[in-house]
Amino acid sequence: MRTKQEYLIRYKDGNLYCELADIWIDPRKPVKKALITHAHFDHFTFGCEEYISTKETAILLKDRVGDNIKIKTFEYGEKFKINGINISFHPSGHILGSSQIRFIFAEEKWLISGDFKLQKDQTCKQYEIVKTDYLISECTFGLPIFKWDESSKIANDISKWITNSPEKTSLLFCYSLGKAQRLLKEISQTNFKGNIYSHSSIHKMNNSYRELGIDIKDTIKIENKKKIDEFKGSLILLPPSLSKGSYLKNFKNIQTAFASGWMSIRALRKRSGYDKGFAISDHADWDGILEVVKKSEAKNVFFHHGDSEALSKYLVEKESINVLFFGKKI
Amino acid sequence: MSLKKFSELFDDLDSINSTNNKIEVLKNYFLSNDPIDNSWAIYLLTGKSNKRFISGRYLKNLFSQIYEYPQWLIDTCYLKVGDSAEVITLLLKNKTNFRKKELSNISLNELLSEKIPALSKLNEEEKNIEIKNLWETLPEDNHLIFNKILTGTFRVGVSIGLITKSISKLFNIEEEIISHRLMGDFKPSIDSYKFLINKNINLQELNSKPFPFLLANTIEDKIFKKSINDFQFEWKYDGIRMQLIKRSGNVSLWTRGQELVNESFPELVEKMSHIKDDFVLDGELLVWNFKEEIAFDFSLLQKRINRKSPTRSIQIKYPIIFIAYDLLEINGRDIREIKLENRRIELEQYFSKWQIKTENNISDIFKICDLIFPKDWPDALTYKDKSRENNTEGLIIKKKTSIYSSGRKKGIWWKYKVDPMQLDAVLIYAKGGSGRRAGLYTDYSFALWKDKELIKFASAYSGLTNIEIKELDKWIRKNTIEKFGPVRSLKPEMVFEISFEKIQISKRHKSGIAVRFPRITKWRKDKKINDANSLENAYELMKKIS
Repeated sequence: MRTKQEYLIRYKDGNLYCELADIWIDPRKPVKKALITHAHFDHFTFGCEEYISTKETAILLKDRVGDNIKIKTFEYGEKFKINGINISFHPSGHILGSSQIRFIFAEEKWLISGDFKLQKDQTCKQYEIVKTDYLISECTFGLPIFKWDESSKIANDISKWITNSPEKTSLLFCYSLGKAQRLLKEISQTNFKGNIYSHSSIHKMNNSYRELGIDIKDTIKIENKKKIDEFKGSLILLPPSLSKGSYLKNFKNIQTAFASGWMSIRALRKRSGYDKGFAISDHADWDGILEVVKKSEAKNVFFHHGDSEALSKYLVEKESINVLFFGKKI
Repeated sequence: MSLKKFSELFDDLDSINSTNNKIEVLKNYFLSNDPIDNSWAIYLLTGKSNKRFISGRYLKNLFSQIYEYPQWLIDTCYLKVGDSAEVITLLLKNKTNFRKKELSNISLNELLSEKIPALSKLNEEEKNIEIKNLWETLPEDNHLIFNKILTGTFRVGVSIGLITKSISKLFNIEEEIISHRLMGDFKPSIDSYKFLINKNINLQELNSKPFPFLLANTIEDKIFKKSINDFQFEWKYDGIRMQLIKRSGNVSLWTRGQELVNESFPELVEKMSHIKDDFVLDGELLVWNFKEEIAFDFSLLQKRINRKSPTRSIQIKYPIIFIAYDLLEINGRDIREIKLENRRIELEQYFSKWQIKTENNISDIFKICDLIFPKDWPDALTYKDKSRENNTEGLIIKKKTSIYSSGRKKGIWWKYKVDPMQLDAVLIYAKGGSGRRAGLYTDYSFALWKDKELIKFASAYSGLTNIEIKELDKWIRKNTIEKFGPVRSLKPEMVFEISFEKIQISKRHKSGIAVRFPRITKWRKDKKINDANSLENAYELMKKIS
């Protein structure tokens, strides 16, 4: 067994780091070279000398933060070399452009899952099974109580929620990038045919998606001057950051909901302060994580982003998979 | 019609905040379902049934056994979810491949009057097979309701008042009548539902049932501007609020929680049956110290509450008394609509008549409450401050001209409680919460100084705002010294003001003291742990009070 220092990829200052290539993965501090798995802000930080990502991620990032960053892009599956290490991006199914990153060095394969899901999503490429020796996986929803319903079922629930209260303005809170576009696509295929408005941050991402060839419905950008009555019976997509505070005063007679995997738990739903919760996530559920671990054929697995204790113990006990912490075996 | 409809109703009620919308949803439900299912729905929604058929633990073990799930994994999930019935519901979602669909149209009535009661007649093995069978045949959307009913944990955010209002609006019957009809042991049946919504009001039918209780509100400052002579003052006893009813010769004893408790207090039922008049009295049941003429601590009353048919020696060891506050009905005449001051006169007159004319002496088990007559509001305050001396919680202040309506009616009755006792203590342990606090550390233990050591003296979980809870939860995760199962020991750093109602010597606690109803009243971020109080301070407080 190798020690922590000998791993090709390890944790350094709370970030994933490959010393041989001197490259960081989704670092939260400015570094020389950063591989970016996807364009969510908790995976990106300003000030790196060079970013490397998929083409879609690069475009989305630039749309969000401006052109002032230096990004080198590669296609999914395209191999590139840094200090003798073969690196490639593979679809992770999380949002448009999101990727897993594979490292191959001296016959040894490493895979960083990035944020991923296996569920079908009409707005991005399906997760690709990649075989590996070492797997570093996220486990945001690493408990068996998480089991996602089909997204079309959730969309129908949302449609019913809106149409059952035609006199109300329905505010649906969701992340601006990824979740909003996925919901938009799904909802436009339901019986709800009313107006859909979106907040400027979401509207911008909708346009980016469309420019990248994703066919999603055009929404109406919310203008402050809009008459309150126009919103009656409509759906309005808003980022969660606006759920508290004065912004909601722009509307009257509202019902609110939050679209997130956490909403599958009643206590969290109640505590969230939203009227309703729709359990839909861009992360894998328990079965999804198990499937990826098994199908990747990894002999050694690391978890990050989430509470991994139970998941690790389960894999060790039930599936005899070697789960490691960075440095020591459980 | 179906259990499915009831599950939908539950989801709707759970996600609607507006009272008016809840009433609409309830009205629609009652309109579109059978009387028998409506009757069961009312039974469940009003919390009449909390019978536990199996425990949450049993449910989790059974799931673990059937689906070969490690127990520890279910326990870990429980920490996140905080409710056994819900954990199992979520885990069952993983088992859809086992499903057979047979019971997709089962009615609420069928489930509650046949399927579930049948479980109690089975031996353990048969019972387990049947529960598994129900899990695999009931539609998935109904699992939560089913598991909650099984474990006696069905609850949803609607009050009896809201149910009453919905039925009242739907059938155009006065709320008071519906409320009265719902009192007592409402047995779900077509007849009980038909009776509930019957527009013909026949008071005879309500014979054995108590009236809806009138409740006091917390004191408001504006009352001090009014004349003291407008009010009647009573001690606020810390016992069980009850209605003592004698109609057509039968005595019944109803708690405010609408339980018939005749069997727990047979000596009272026996004595009162000797009174010649029929009556309905509103009052309080207490364990009474006859020598000093004050109530014993509530803990002694607890020794009687859950004990049916108490032995003679228990009756002597914990002697009870019923203290009447109010007379609501006398010899079939409902006097709730007359003024309190006049009801009081009748109460006093009847009481003295009963004392003289009743064969057996009733004063060793029944009296009417003494009134207090403060000169002015400052004087009332002095009475309130003295209330601990006679083991009461403060004062009840009633408008003399008030009629006896129902519920927590504003502006007629107030409770004026003694200020709580307080100590500043250091947070030393935290435990995960349950229910809607699941996944957060919300059960806290606090310590006081003894020399250089911190000694645990109380646990509390209420009093912080949701924002404070989240903030503290974050701090707890960062400042954990050790984990023991769900409990974490913490770096002593945070000081909280803890308020409580009572403080007494206790041999069971390491600190040597026990406090009643401890709760957090302030997060003292301004204080360092050295500023926290000591056990010595606690003893001083105890001395000062006794």
